[in-house]
Amino acid sequence: MRLLQKMTDFLEDRLELPTLWRGFTDRNLPRGIGWLQTLGSATLFLLLVQTATGILLAFYYVPSPEHAFHSVSLIETQLPLGWLIRGIHKWAASLVVLLVVLHLLRVLYMGAFKYPRELTWVVGVLLLLVVLAFGFTGYLLPWDQRGYWATVVGTHIASFAPALGPYVMETLRGQPDVGVRTLGRFYAFHTLFLPALLFLLVAVHVAMVVKQGIAPWPAKKFASVRREEYWKLYQHFKEGGRPFYVSMAKDAVVALGLLLLVFFLAWKLGAPIGEEADPTSATFVPRPEWYFLFLFELLWWFPGQWIPVATFWIPAFLILLLLFLPWLDRSIHRSPLRRPLTTGLTSAFVLAAIFLTYKGASAPTPPAAATAVRARLEQQALSPLAQKGRGVYEEQGCAACHSIAGAGSAAGPDLTKIARRRDADWLARFITAPEKVTPGAEMPAYDGLTKEELNSLVAYLQTLR
Amino acid sequence: MSERSDPGAAEPSRRGLFRNLVNGIGAAIVTALAVPLAGFFVLPAFKRSKTVWKEVGRLDDFVAGEIKLVPLRPLERREWPEDWGTEAAWVYRKGERDFVVYDLHCTHVGCPVNWSPQAKRFFSPCHGGVFDADGRVLSGPPPRPLDRYETKIEKGVLYAGAVYRGDRRLGRAVS
Repeated sequence: MRLLQKMTDFLEDRLELPTLWRGFTDRNLPRGIGWLQTLGSATLFLLLVQTATGILLAFYYVPSPEHAFHSVSLIETQLPLGWLIRGIHKWAASLVVLLVVLHLLRVLYMGAFKYPRELTWVVGVLLLLVVLAFGFTGYLLPWDQRGYWATVVGTHIASFAPALGPYVMETLRGQPDVGVRTLGRFYAFHTLFLPALLFLLVAVHVAMVVKQGIAPWPAKKFASVRREEYWKLYQHFKEGGRPFYVSMAKDAVVALGLLLLVFFLAWKLGAPIGEEADPTSATFVPRPEWYFLFLFELLWWFPGQWIPVATFWIPAFLILLLLFLPWLDRSIHRSPLRRPLTTGLTSAFVLAAIFLTYKGASAPTPPAAATAVRARLEQQALSPLAQKGRGVYEEQGCAACHSIAGAGSAAGPDLTKIARRRDADWLARFITAPEKVTPGAEMPAYDGLTKEELNSLVAYLQTLR
Repeated sequence: MSERSDPGAAEPSRRGLFRNLVNGIGAAIVTALAVPLAGFFVLPAFKRSKTVWKEVGRLDDFVAGEIKLVPLRPLERREWPEDWGTEAAWVYRKGERDFVVYDLHCTHVGCPVNWSPQAKRFFSPCHGGVFDADGRVLSGPPPRPLDRYETKIEKGVLYAGAVYRGDRRLGRAVS
């Protein structure tokens, strides 16, 4: 104990560190700060976990198309504890995105972005973008099929930016297609540039929170506050509060809980590696990581010339909306109940994002499908004609757009119960000339089928009820 | 002497001078570094070497009227990485010496299209894009026909060059 005291005195004498630390932990927080306010510190905690595991992964990872996949396989299967470190890195990455979004929503609903915290909010939005950039660049690094094709699609989407689109795409890729230079720059972004930017922004973000104090609950006197009265009221409120270390206990509990959760996910589900990236495969089905699914789904709504709406204008609009929120919602009201427009719009956006993510996640398994469809329907007894029709269904690639019992694609109508809605005659007419039966129908005409093929296909569809 | 005891009197111009000097030098340093750094980031992405022709295959390898997936073998080896980065393309032999080589990627968001010989259509697995044998959009969201490689035939061998956008005049097929 004497030694500890001496060391404390040494630091106090030279740098006043103990005083600074006590000033940090002993300062009063306003009343009503609870579990919801742990989201920010929880995000920071996971970012530190990502930093630690990421640095260790970089010890063994080789960022070259010839070696990347094998070095990741080595980490996963050969190196002691490699599976654990990789598992933690993967699952904490997903949780960071989730927590950043929850943190943002908490601040948004509670009006905590209002005076004097407008800049803290802006830096927070930039941090959200940095976290998403981490996810996007990190996905490619294992150089497996999933990451490779997600990057082909993700960078292709950038080519729809107005005027400079193709240049943006090639700048991101470092070359016309996704290859060695893409991996190089994604690696450098993921491990050097983004971490530097991240911790710069985190330092500013946290410094501002410490300097200005945490935002009070937007209730009672703080439901609506005039700018001139704010500091007096906040000071008064703080004096009735509790010291920071009391709430830090909550932060610590949440951090520990998250760590256990991440350990559990890494242990139970792990981070499976797929097949090595293969730019020549024509059968792979690209899908993004879950937090980009809403964008991927959004593409269904904007075909042809409207593509840039989904790939550029909506994302750009949302980002600008978030960045400038403090100057758009300028009322003195902080309570979500007194700001129906902000609260309503936010909730609408959240519901839309959840809906799109759900649609994307529950989309039917696409047509490697021929086999999947067969497997699912094998049990059913079909007449010889209908069986032949099922063959036609598979051969003609119907499953590329339609789904039956969850196998296929969501491009066209689900046919699982089609016989309940359409009779044989209608089906036959529609298949051969969709445009004539339903003007504006998207389905390409299948007028090249033989009469026998058509009859059997219709017979098969008639069994689906 | 009075100037020295009163720093405010004569100093402002000198202070202003030094402040401007520091700002000016700082700006020069930042620019001198930022321009080459930004250039090094962006320019390599657009450095075009001359078109490297890729061998697609002998003409006899292709049956008239059929479409198949073929890996492309570059005639010149790359410096690095040598062992990675094969491309593949869909080759359509329309006639005796009439070939079309399609880029593998859907023109919507770049998913790999797959040719179904029975349906005689290209299908994209992402958002339901469908193309016909001529690369025209039959259905779904793709904004333009399949991209193509320029081709040439020499001594009975088919070669593919640079990728270009499929003829816009092909347009969207109307049924």
